[in-house]
Amino acid sequence: MIDGATKAAWLHRALFVAIALVLLFIRLLPLGSVAGALPGPDILLCIIFAWTMRRPDYLPALLITAVVLLDDMILMRPPGLWTAIVIIGSEFIRARVALTRELNFGVEWLLVAGMMVAMLLVYRTVFAMVLLPQPAFGFAMVQVLWSILCYPVVVALSRYALDLHKPAMGEVDAYGRRM
Amino acid sequence: MARNRTDPEDFSRPLRRVLVGLLVLVLLGLFFLWRIDSARVERFRTALVDRFVPSFQWASAPVTWGSGIVDDYQSYARLYEQNQQLREELRQMKAWKEAALQLEQKNARLLDLVNVRLDPRLTHVTGVVLADSGSPFRQSVLLNVGERDGIRDGWATMDGIGLVGRISGVGKQTSRVILLTDSNSRVPVSVQPSGQKAILAGDNSALPPLEFLEDNDAVRAGDIVVSSGDGGVFPAGLLIGNVVKDTDNRLRVALSADFQKLEFLRVLRSHELVPITDAGALIALPPVMGPPAPAAPPDPATEAGGNG
Repeated sequence: MIDGATKAAWLHRALFVAIALVLLFIRLLPLGSVAGALPGPDILLCIIFAWTMRRPDYLPALLITAVVLLDDMILMRPPGLWTAIVIIGSEFIRARVALTRELNFGVEWLLVAGMMVAMLLVYRTVFAMVLLPQPAFGFAMVQVLWSILCYPVVVALSRYALDLHKPAMGEVDAYGRRM
Repeated sequence: MARNRTDPEDFSRPLRRVLVGLLVLVLLGLFFLWRIDSARVERFRTALVDRFVPSFQWASAPVTWGSGIVDDYQSYARLYEQNQQLREELRQMKAWKEAALQLEQKNARLLDLVNVRLDPRLTHVTGVVLADSGSPFRQSVLLNVGERDGIRDGWATMDGIGLVGRISGVGKQTSRVILLTDSNSRVPVSVQPSGQKAILAGDNSALPPLEFLEDNDAVRAGDIVVSSGDGGVFPAGLLIGNVVKDTDNRLRVALSADFQKLEFLRVLRSHELVPITDAGALIALPPVMGPPAPAAPPDPATEAGGNG
């Protein structure tokens, strides 16, 4: 009853949840992140962008919401705000799948970099608007720069380890329609 | 679930857009609810962390154990050097120990003279660090003791040497400690020996600055910083660290507690402090409740009427 494409989609969804949990677990390990240490990349965000860009049907908005909201809750971020921004960002990319299919990787990278910076700016603007204390701008920007640098790595890993690619000409989905 | 086709005839796209819009609105609503009524959402968050994080423990134990082995191995590698260093330190410590013993005896004699009774109720509960905050922008740790061990919000937390932070958020079996380095941490301190009062304000750096010092010149690098007990949150006199001067001459505190390796933390049970709200009630009774007024003299009119 379950055909290959549906199975692949559900497999990737399960894999996404598993990767998110492992990332969360690694961040929570009590290995002493000292105050003032420079932040690392936000790999979850890279995965969400890379996968949405390639196969939007693998990452439904509700799944992204659930995973990022869990992160918000566990990592002591204000709940909901970052999730909402990530959803808007992923929807922005999802709506442009037809466009990005024809772009080469350089342009895609540029697009993602722009989106990450824009998301940070929106996040910080809302923080400032509701008078929440926030870390220094340069400090937060380091994380975004790391994420941008990590994006090609995430894309390459998804491409070669998970065989996640943009749908080729004439490929059909689970319902036999053209993608 | 959500399917997005590039087919222009697909009617589900506008509907989908509306649904995603609703989702974003709900999320923003959650954020504003948190901003307005933070206590309720934070309670929910604490309950969630309480359920979620201890289930990680079986997996995190071997990893932390492994990293401990690596650390130990690295310290074996420079065993000789360390040995020399320790011998040197031991020699110095012996001298200090003599001095400390003499001081202790002197102190005991003086305490006896002035008849001081030390507070016996300042006991502690020891917890193990379960998890980090997970975010480079927040400095907190999660302990494996919680409400069932009698932990309350606001209690001071120390490692073996110095103050680490304070409890903020208590779940059934876990509690969160906001470290002194977190940007939300403000602790009233006093700097010895000058006795200057200040606020130790965390700013997400390893050396939190001293704020609201009355006289910067009275404080020098190397002075000892202890909690002052102002505000009634912390007991007074807990060691916090030493004053250091940073490159632009700002006074900061090098914390005594070892923040690199937080493993076992003591939560100090502070007793309830009775707030004094009534200014003079302790010394002299307020006039309303003064000595009972003499019984009212019998009204002559009614007296007369009764007699008549």
